[in-house]
Amino acid sequence: MEEKNIVDIWRSYDQKLEESRILNMQSWVLNLKNFEFLQSQKAKSVLNRLTTGKWFTVILGIIWVVFLVFLILNSLTINKIFFVVSAGMIAIITGIAIVVYLKQIFLIRQINHSNSIVETQDKLAHLKLSTLWVTRILFLQCPFHTTWFLNWEMLKHAPTGLLIFQVAITVAFTFLSVWLYRNISDKNMHKKWFKVLFGGSGWTSLILAKDFIEEIDEYRQDHIA
Amino acid sequence: MNQTPDKENFLKLIEENKRIIFKICNAYCSNKHDREDLAQEIIYQLWKSAGSFNSDFRFSTWMYRVALNVAISFYRKAKNIKAIVPISDDLVHVPETSGTHHIHEENINLLQQFIHELRELDRALMILYLEEKSHRDISEIIGISETNVATRISRIKEKLKQRFANINQ
Repeated sequence: MEEKNIVDIWRSYDQKLEESRILNMQSWVLNLKNFEFLQSQKAKSVLNRLTTGKWFTVILGIIWVVFLVFLILNSLTINKIFFVVSAGMIAIITGIAIVVYLKQIFLIRQINHSNSIVETQDKLAHLKLSTLWVTRILFLQCPFHTTWFLNWEMLKHAPTGLLIFQVAITVAFTFLSVWLYRNISDKNMHKKWFKVLFGGSGWTSLILAKDFIEEIDEYRQDHIA
Repeated sequence: MNQTPDKENFLKLIEENKRIIFKICNAYCSNKHDREDLAQEIIYQLWKSAGSFNSDFRFSTWMYRVALNVAISFYRKAKNIKAIVPISDDLVHVPETSGTHHIHEENINLLQQFIHELRELDRALMILYLEEKSHRDISEIIGISETNVATRISRIKEKLKQRFANINQ
């Protein structure tokens, strides 16, 4: 098979498309008389769908933080110090996650499809992978979910066994959240615990993004192995 | 093209490039429904990006960039949520006409199938090569050096030749 033959085959594909009227199947594409149609497609755009999901999460996050702040402001007594500190930390960590999400939305809006393929696809794959950051940050909330309900009265009258159990749980959650914060990274993606943590489809999309970044890096190299 | 593209001109450009859009859709989507969605997405992104068209580049370079970027993103999104439909299942195969054209048509279908088996970036490279774009154009569209383009094309062609040789044996 000569080089010319391959190109000839491709050229004849053009002719055949015309002859077989396959292109006419897409008449809705070719006869766009009503141009408003294109505007209505905006909602269907892949990137728009992506930002819509993130905006929804951001709004839910803001509502959650406002609710926590409201509770904190109404609990500023020494007896409720555990609640104030725990809820405060949860609100701060959620706030950081919201900022990361907003940054992602900003970056998605910066994606320009008229840039080179390697550049655009690299940005998109890195964006996908950056969801790991939000997960890492949110896991830092875990220990505070084991302390918000405590108060001095409860601690004074609680049996020793229960106190030990409470401390053990809080320490365990602290270690777990710090460990997850340090270990949730693309380096550990192929490990079993990582797959369990992110679930089937979430894990698959992260793996695909990571593999694609590697493929793009390899593609950029002039000297092919 | 300026900030707000002219509707009539835009339609004309889409009409002129409909085969390219169709071939890109067919190279990245296995079934009809996905192909239609992708064509819709490509046209929307072309319309949306028209304002960012830089007249330093040729229109075709810009169009290939947008269309291929959208197609690759669309394909990757689909890859995340479902298993890829087997290649032979739902590709647009060119219908056979007469006995004399049979071998030729088989070759077109085989070439399409081969393109489907390539990785996303190689697929884009191969489409551009088959559309007889220069190495310089391909380098601008993909975003890699001309040397790299030449090496990769030569490697893909080698695989393709082997594929055809195996079939013809």
